[in-house]
Amino acid sequence: MSAAERSPGLAARPLAVLPPLILLGLLAALPLLNLGANSVKVLFLTFVSIAASVGWNILGGFAGQVSFGFAVFYGLGAYTTAVGINEGLNPYLTYPLAGAVAALASLLVGLPTFRLRGPYFAIATIGVSEATRVVMTNLEFTGGASGYRITEHVPFRQLEHYFTGLMLAALAVGLSIIVRRSRFGLGLRAIRDDQDAAADSGVNPYALKLGAHAIAAALTAAAGGVYARYAAFIDPEGVFGFPRGVGILLMPVIGGVNTIWGPVIGGGVYGVIEEELVARFPQLHLLLYGVLVMLIILFEPGGVVGLLQRTRRFVLRRREASWQPS
Amino acid sequence: MAALLSVEGLTKRFSGLAALDQVSFEIREGEIVGLIGPNGAGKTTLFSIIAGSQPPTSGKILFEGRDFTRVKPFRAVHAGIARTHQIPQPFLSMTVRENVEVGLRFGRDPGGARNLVKEVTEILELVGIASLENMAAVTLSVGDLKRLELARTLATRPRLLLCDEVCAGLTECEMQSILGLLRRIQALGTTIIYVEHNLRAILSTCHHVIVLNFGKKLAEGPPETMQNDPAVIEAYIGKKA
Ligand SMILES: Nc1ncnc2c1ncn2[C@@H]1O[C@H](COP(=O)(O)OP(=O)(O)OP(=O)(O)O)[C@@H](O)[C@H]1O
Ligand SMILES: [Mg+2]
Repeated sequence: MSAAERSPGLAARPLAVLPPLILLGLLAALPLLNLGANSVKVLFLTFVSIAASVGWNILGGFAGQVSFGFAVFYGLGAYTTAVGINEGLNPYLTYPLAGAVAALASLLVGLPTFRLRGPYFAIATIGVSEATRVVMTNLEFTGGASGYRITEHVPFRQLEHYFTGLMLAALAVGLSIIVRRSRFGLGLRAIRDDQDAAADSGVNPYALKLGAHAIAAALTAAAGGVYARYAAFIDPEGVFGFPRGVGILLMPVIGGVNTIWGPVIGGGVYGVIEEELVARFPQLHLLLYGVLVMLIILFEPGGVVGLLQRTRRFVLRRREASWQPS
Repeated sequence: MAALLSVEGLTKRFSGLAALDQVSFEIREGEIVGLIGPNGAGKTTLFSIIAGSQPPTSGKILFEGRDFTRVKPFRAVHAGIARTHQIPQPFLSMTVRENVEVGLRFGRDPGGARNLVKEVTEILELVGIASLENMAAVTLSVGDLKRLELARTLATRPRLLLCDEVCAGLTECEMQSILGLLRRIQALGTTIIYVEHNLRAILSTCHHVIVLNFGKKLAEGPPETMQNDPAVIEAYIGKKA
């Protein structure tokens, strides 16, 4: 029965926390294997992607408000961390700061755009994103289009970045689980299902959407900040560009929107595609994503997680059938 | 006793057509009031405006003496006004239990420490769908969806319940059980305005009846009088030859 399959919450299954913790432990122990610098880099970028993807999903998945504009927050986070570090702040203080800046920005974006619904909201976020990119391209204080360099007077230690990325991704997943199980998360689900019916049940859709937007923006900004420190150089095209916003949206769509693990899987898949395929076949980039999204929409709107669930149901049914006495 | 709800000169125009035209009435606490009228009379529109889903063109709504004229729907719910929809609007991705939980946790009494599981069960038992608690809302039959709609609305703990044709499309037997349910809800202290086309249902359940026709209030009074009111008969059956 499909109703029974929907997660009954961790409280009902205390063992459900084990696999994620084991996964976290394995990833934390992975560097012991002396992976090459390039593998560590791919994993680091994947963690950053996952954090942004999981963040986006809180608004786009849980609340069903599809935004193409998350490059705004990723970029703001990247620039906040970059400027913060250059001004002498401890890098680890710049990440919450990036989150706070983005959360504030999310209010500015959300206050007018959440008056719009469905496709109109999505279209408005494209406009906001492009406008921000143009502003940043012309902002002299951060070097405009030619970009901004971070200078740190400590040696570069790749593993420190690896663990920062891993912790951020874990934090994002943890937060997403907490949101999902909370009263707030129930309200977001109600809004996603039917905003008017939600309001008729006492949910304040505007306030809850603003809240989801702020949490999602903060996580995405922290991801941008962690990325910026690693890259040590950022420019508006890279962190504020429209493809960045589309990328953040694609990950949860690939993995399975509106689930806990879909955005994690999608972030992983995306990280690998970006690093392996795009590096080798740069011209195939957009074509690849275009085809992927079309396949998902046509055959499995639930993404990878949807596909897994369907396969599991199929296998269970086959097994049941084969148990029948002939 | 002061009125729980007063509606004063309420008018709603949809590009020329007056769905409601200077409608005024008062509802006293504890009553079940029937709201009847032919198709298109403006009953659902009236509910939408009281619940805050639509703004009126003009007129005034007072709830417990306070101005609720252009109140936001969720604020109306928090104050204790809740409506069922003529066409049920369940949360389709949720189970029956979760549907009810939304109303409990966001309604008039969203308080923290409480036994949610028990409260949901009580409401589901009251409307008679406790056995479906873990079913996905998408899988429910029309009759069960009507009950779920009522359960969702009751979960917000309304003081004034606006019931829009909860019995339409149900069998006689199902209708009797819903009517019994409304009487029980009223006995528990909830005031009800009840829209219904079936006059027998209205007569057997309501203390007071308001009749709408073409957006105008045609008459109001005790059900027995309304049944014999010539204007009401005319609106329903057409002018006798
Ligand atoms: N959103 C709208 N836009 C335009 N006209 C509308 C709208 N909503 C309702 N109307 C019109 O207002 C009038 C009253 O409609 P309403 O739904 O309130 O009637 P009702 O009494 O509930 O009818 P029924 O018994 O069929 O449910 C109808 O003529 C309807 O066509
Ligand atoms: Mg109606």
